[in-house]
Amino acid sequence: MMELIGISPALLFGQLLIGLINGVFYAMMSLGVAIIFGMLRIGNFVHGAQYMLGAFGTWFLLQLPLLFPGLGLPSLGYWWALAIVPLGVAVVGAAMEWLFIRRVYDLDHAYGLLLTVGLAMLIEGLFNVRFGAAGQQYGVPESLQGGMRLGFMFLPYYRLWVIVAGLVICFGTWRVIERTRLGSYLRAATENPDLVRTFGINVPRMLMLTYAFGVGLAGLAGVMAAPIYQVSPQMGQSIIVTIFAVVVIGGMGSIFGAIVSGLMLGLIEGLTKVFYPQASTTVIFIIMATVLLLRPNGLFGKETVAHHVADFSTVRTGSLLENGRFWLAAIAIGGMIFPFFFYPLLGMKILCLALFACAYNLLFGYVGLLAFGHAAFFGASAYVTAHCAAVWGFAPEAALLSGVAVATAVGALFGWLAIRRQGLYFAMITLALAQIAYFYAVQAPWTHSEDGIQGVPRGKLLGLIDLDVSINMYFFVLCVFLFGFGLIYRIVHSPFGQVLKSIRENEQRAISLGYSTNQFKQVAFTISAALAGLAGGLKALVFQIASLADLFFTTSADALLMTLIGGVGTLLGPVVGAVIVVLIQKELATLGSWVVVVQGAAFVLCVLFLRKGVVGTLEDYLGAREERRRLASLARITEKTPKHDDSSRNS
Amino acid sequence: MTEAIGLTVSDLHAWYGDSKALHGMNFEVRRGEIVTLLGRNGAGKTSTLRAIMGLIRKQTGAIHFGSQNISGRLPEAIAKYGIAYCPEERGIFASLTVAENLVLPPILGKGGMTLHEIYGLFPNLLDRRASPGTRLSGGEQQMLAIARILRTGATLLLLDEPTEGLAPLIVKQIGAVLRSLKDRGLTVLLVEQNFRFASRIADRHYVVENGRVIDTLAAADVADGTDRIEKYLKV
Amino acid sequence: MTATPAQDNIVVARGLTKRFFDFAAVSEVDLTVRRHSIHALIGPNGAGKTTTFNLLTKFLPLTSGNILYNGDDITLESPARLARRGIVRSFQISAIFPLMSAAENVRIALQRPSGISFRFWSSKRHLHRFDGRVDELLDAVGLLEYRDRTAAGLSYGRRRALELATTLALEPELMLLDEPTSGLGHEDVDRITSLIRKISTNRTILMVEHNLSVVAKLADTITVLARGKVLAEGSYAQVSGDPRVIEAYIGGVDD
Repeated sequence: MMELIGISPALLFGQLLIGLINGVFYAMMSLGVAIIFGMLRIGNFVHGAQYMLGAFGTWFLLQLPLLFPGLGLPSLGYWWALAIVPLGVAVVGAAMEWLFIRRVYDLDHAYGLLLTVGLAMLIEGLFNVRFGAAGQQYGVPESLQGGMRLGFMFLPYYRLWVIVAGLVICFGTWRVIERTRLGSYLRAATENPDLVRTFGINVPRMLMLTYAFGVGLAGLAGVMAAPIYQVSPQMGQSIIVTIFAVVVIGGMGSIFGAIVSGLMLGLIEGLTKVFYPQASTTVIFIIMATVLLLRPNGLFGKETVAHHVADFSTVRTGSLLENGRFWLAAIAIGGMIFPFFFYPLLGMKILCLALFACAYNLLFGYVGLLAFGHAAFFGASAYVTAHCAAVWGFAPEAALLSGVAVATAVGALFGWLAIRRQGLYFAMITLALAQIAYFYAVQAPWTHSEDGIQGVPRGKLLGLIDLDVSINMYFFVLCVFLFGFGLIYRIVHSPFGQVLKSIRENEQRAISLGYSTNQFKQVAFTISAALAGLAGGLKALVFQIASLADLFFTTSADALLMTLIGGVGTLLGPVVGAVIVVLIQKELATLGSWVVVVQGAAFVLCVLFLRKGVVGTLEDYLGAREERRRLASLARITEKTPKHDDSSRNS
Repeated sequence: MTEAIGLTVSDLHAWYGDSKALHGMNFEVRRGEIVTLLGRNGAGKTSTLRAIMGLIRKQTGAIHFGSQNISGRLPEAIAKYGIAYCPEERGIFASLTVAENLVLPPILGKGGMTLHEIYGLFPNLLDRRASPGTRLSGGEQQMLAIARILRTGATLLLLDEPTEGLAPLIVKQIGAVLRSLKDRGLTVLLVEQNFRFASRIADRHYVVENGRVIDTLAAADVADGTDRIEKYLKV
Repeated sequence: MTATPAQDNIVVARGLTKRFFDFAAVSEVDLTVRRHSIHALIGPNGAGKTTTFNLLTKFLPLTSGNILYNGDDITLESPARLARRGIVRSFQISAIFPLMSAAENVRIALQRPSGISFRFWSSKRHLHRFDGRVDELLDAVGLLEYRDRTAAGLSYGRRRALELATTLALEPELMLLDEPTSGLGHEDVDRITSLIRKISTNRTILMVEHNLSVVAKLADTITVLARGKVLAEGSYAQVSGDPRVIEAYIGGVDD
């Protein structure tokens, strides 16, 4: 019968087996993420890196005599690794929780995600530096080599071991949590942590151990993965977004949901590879979008995510740092002088990225929505602009507008899907939707996958100005930037902007005043996407290339980093952040992967110590100084007048 | 501090953020007594218990238990001194069964009741021990919440409105339970709005209003003082 | 209060019920609010007052029951839609916009009915048309001298007053106040009480309140809730003398 459909049973079962194996890994990893999210409310983006640590640990143990020659160390094989490595990774996890992660529990969920993104970049970057991008081989352990014939397919023993062991671990963990005393402490502490503390249980220590356990699961998955997949520094990065999608589908607090969804989605992915291969990379994300439309809490999820307020600096009225007209003029003048001292290309790069960061800041800073998928708009516009200019011969302004139009449309659609959810869910949806865009570009014929669209002509602006002349292009970019910057300033200081502010500060109150807040968020999202598209299209013309990197989530992370370093919710912050990040990248360009390490460290340090960014912190400092002066002069006045007035007593 | 004094609260102020809940509470509970904090809603009775248990971070003043000043300590540390808390909302964990709820709080000291003794005091819990926490009636939940902390070996029990919303028969049962706990030598600080119930079991009463103690009544004087106290509580 | 015609009931709620799994927080509550009256919802802890409030303002979906407002069935409408009809609520934990100034807080409320809220291209100058009314409202609650101060920097009592001003700005037909005096010291309680009396002319107010002296001073009608059900209803004198109410507050007669 199979031959009638044109698919051999061997192929089908082969893919199902691969799907089941993938599913087991998805289940194990999602389990860890779900536990960590359920207990600690942290979206553990570093889970992929911790998985990678497990795989590398396994490889290390095998390579011990080679790595440390002369010390007489034995080469420790798979079974040693299975015993030691997950514990080691768990210890690393406990250290991470104690040093970094516990400091963000009381903050907005955004910071937990940002922190773990930074830690992921740090760890993966360091490994990249040391080992390069190439993968290391790790052979299947001797005791599990070979396999058995099952009629229409060959089942390798190691694969069978992975499936059985993985399922045992997953359901075993679930059983421990559901049935044992320790599990009941965990479940109780999730429901009512304060009350559990009054029982004398050291909840903070319990949280640390829980995190370590979840991380240990990732490490264990890494050990088991080593003989199947290549051991490379990127192995975590390529799986982490899928894992988050699985957790979202299963329901973010649900352990059972994570396991079942992981297994199911692995199988579905495998089946898709057989019947409709082009969709196999995106099918999980498409399912995620569908599930969230129908069941906002996921398949097995029960609860919604609570909402804190993010750390914004108090903007003083009349603050120079927020004076849009002043800075518009200052940047214009500075921009005009710039090419006399520096290369125009550097300036153009800064301006494009600054515009991107400003667009992102509109959503994250002024509305308070942590989006994690702006690469989709940036990259979509880059590709469309590039294609229009290179293939259809559009004039640059037409190509750019086309790019922006597409980015706006994509933004409207993604926004409509994502807005219905809050907090971490929202971030995850935007990330996963952006991944759909990325995987589409990997396969679409017109995007030329790895090569991208190259040789994009800059053309003649309005038929008159030759943009191939560097300085002309530079001034065009400057004008577009100033337009975007000015537009954002105007939006923020419009009646619309006031509503956005109120939504950010107290959405429930805004609703109770009669504002349909979702509509406002949708409009803001779309505008942010349009301006991100403007930046992306510009970038395609400047560098004359559109590539997959533009759509990859690291580009989204860049927008986030620039905004965070510069100052979330400030006018100048994203610009300052862009300057800093571009300069870092420029100075460290010769050091290759160190750039990622430094950026990761910057993320971590910012989240822990400089949450308001450079501009935000400066604003706070100036505000505090002003307040001190005001109180001092008030004190001087009241010293002179004998009667006390109301304000000095009661405030 | 003499051994007779169990808990002494002096000049306790507490804030939830900017909102000030306690404006200088002063009272004491001697070992082996049952003492109630009476008062209307919003008077600060629950906040007092929470402050004692370390659940309100922003507080000033002194709370002495025996000879230790426990003010400002973390809840898990305060529990280890032998103080147990039964909140107003009871806090029965929905994802656990009755039996799991019952054994959840760890045993922190000697002298706690055994499971056998607890089921003896609350026979209906024995029948329902496999039911999930949510399926209990209000009265059963209250029983469970009290039973839960009896295992731990705690010597001071903080109970927040144990009779709230319960039928008169159950209220009677709870009164009997509290009296037998006193016979065992436990100390109980009770928050109540139900003065009729409180007057039948407590040794002393404090009336709380706006975050401070405004009146006090001993058991011996209840007959004379009832009208006075009821005025504070009445609508 | 002069007698008003019977059809002038601004809110008629029947059979309000809210269940969380097996637990009925509110059960078959009927509530009728007369236009231009001050109606208080009181009851011991856990009685279901705030839940009833949340049901009426659609911040919680109803398990069953229906709500009529000026004769229209609003049972299925969204909270924002309700606010646009003229039902505006305050919150138990003071709901203001902390990083905006007091004036901006009031202004954002005034802005909502104006229809210009989606104009992201237009200048903030257009909002100056509200300045006069902003100052009027701030003055009415005694906050005019704080107009440019950041809301988060105001004392708790002043923030509650600001919340009242913001609610007033929308000229609601029906104001729902959730524990307007909670967390306040004596002085502030008096201030807020007289404010509420001042603003109650030509307006209907429904409030949840614990402070019974405030209720005694202000309320025309009182509904007493206990254990999720209506226990009694009437004037302060009627309700405070009702033995069932006394029992709910002081405790049952035991033997």
